[in-house]
Amino acid sequence: MILRARTIKPWLFLFPAAVIYLAVILIPSLETLVLSLFKWNGASTHIVFIGWDNYIKLFTQDTVFMLALSNTLIWTIASVVILTALALAMALVLNLQFKGRLIYRSIFYFPSILSSIVVAITWRWMYHPQGLINGLLTLIGLGDAAPAWLGDPRTALGSVFLTSLWFGLGQPLVLFLAGLQTISKEPHEAAIIDGANAWQRFACITLPMLRETMIIVVATVFINGMRVYDLIFAMTGGGPAESTEVLSTWMYFQTFSFANVGVGAAISWILIAISMVVIIPYVRFTTKKSEQ
Amino acid sequence: MDHSSSLSRRRIGLRIVLHAALILGAIIFLVPLFYVIVTALKSRHDLATLPFFTLPEVWHFDNFPKAWIDGNLSTYIGNSAFISVVKVPLGILVEALAAFALTRMDLKGATVIFMVFLVGMMIPMQATLVPLNIFLHSVGLTNTYPGIIFVYIGFGIPFGILILRGFFRTMPRELDESAVIDGCTDGQRFTRIILPLAKPAVAALFILDFLSTWNEFLLAQIFLTKDSMKTITTGLMTFVGQHLTDYTLLNAGVVLSMIPSVVIYMIFQKQFVSGMAGAVKG
Repeated sequence: MILRARTIKPWLFLFPAAVIYLAVILIPSLETLVLSLFKWNGASTHIVFIGWDNYIKLFTQDTVFMLALSNTLIWTIASVVILTALALAMALVLNLQFKGRLIYRSIFYFPSILSSIVVAITWRWMYHPQGLINGLLTLIGLGDAAPAWLGDPRTALGSVFLTSLWFGLGQPLVLFLAGLQTISKEPHEAAIIDGANAWQRFACITLPMLRETMIIVVATVFINGMRVYDLIFAMTGGGPAESTEVLSTWMYFQTFSFANVGVGAAISWILIAISMVVIIPYVRFTTKKSEQ
Repeated sequence: MDHSSSLSRRRIGLRIVLHAALILGAIIFLVPLFYVIVTALKSRHDLATLPFFTLPEVWHFDNFPKAWIDGNLSTYIGNSAFISVVKVPLGILVEALAAFALTRMDLKGATVIFMVFLVGMMIPMQATLVPLNIFLHSVGLTNTYPGIIFVYIGFGIPFGILILRGFFRTMPRELDESAVIDGCTDGQRFTRIILPLAKPAVAALFILDFLSTWNEFLLAQIFLTKDSMKTITTGLMTFVGQHLTDYTLLNAGVVLSMIPSVVIYMIFQKQFVSGMAGAVKG
């Protein structure tokens, strides 16, 4: 009896979280996998099993999907490379001892506390033809060369991406700063005595010691990049001429605007499949680390 | 001698370059904020006629009450506040109970269960929307507070468990042993010993969770479609649709919606940093 009570009790504590988690995330995402094998408009009772057709059609016939896929991959890779490098560089500078470093940290972190919608509206106004950026360009005599930013298919995605750097820098920056603070001074001092220059000390001491932080930063930046939605939805709505469409926005439009529920479901599972590349190693890393 | 002085000169040069870069970066980061505030204080006439960099001729503080009332922001902010105030403590309680079971009770397969929870952090919300929508419809919870709070708690669980489990693990085993000797039940061990001692982690999680609830957009967009139920993010999007050309009012709305986040950030800055650092420790 006592033994049984001991094995059941932890499950009582776990119960609310487990039930809600299953009901909100795990079961619905598996249901979506099933839905991706059907043709359905989301409202009628007419629902047809079509196997992998939704996936095949996406890759062979849906040119917007292919654009969305490549935009998502470009966005994600650019985020991982640029955001990580920028955040690491800033963290190294802000880790130096000088007056005002905490103020700088607050300033660079500040956009991260805002909602994506506020950021989107703010930057729509910055990029507006009569907005600050083109105003500055006119001021220095480049008014004629000023692009339409969000209104031009060639510049729209890049403009939203710049906003995402402004918005997203704070989180990896603070993570790197926290990581840097755990590195002790001794190896650096020893390396200085041995005549190592700053670059050698960074590459051979700091970077290896930041490995764990680096994994967390790259994983979160990657996942955030893959699922980017709010900024694009609120800044361009996927336009102009679908030029800023990404997997998440295209999934939304297919499902909720065009009532192609099966197609939308297939897109979200393609998103999950690509994310697995990072999800699986990350989950294994996190659990392995905590076993130690 | 010569060599070392040129080295230190280089070092000073480097410092100057770094500081210049930092100041430039800080300006770039702050300019949008000032631009929004200055726009919010202009009249529509000033905005149309004055160059972008000038301050308003007359400071139009009345844009704020106009946005608050005409733009219906009072409703949206009220909804967001209510949802956050209920969701965050309730979610943390659920997460803390689970983290307690995973770390401080005799639970077989705790690591595997934790892995299953962790996977949820990586699943994009998009992949759950249609089945969730069907489910909420069938139980009549779309466009209700309980419906959205339920969904928000679900999506908060993986991160919450990650943070709290990480903290609970670092607390010494002796705490539990002496509690058991003193005759504490599991429930008492949770409420009287572990939870109070985990206050720093709970505080950090509280703030991070409050902000992510306050700022959430996609789920609110799908599950709260009635205007009277909209949150500050979906409400602002509606506001954009209605006042697309009225940039003074629009920016006043943006400023108003920033205020709660900024206030919370300024009060709890320390917890932010420790909370983020907690995420690294895992």
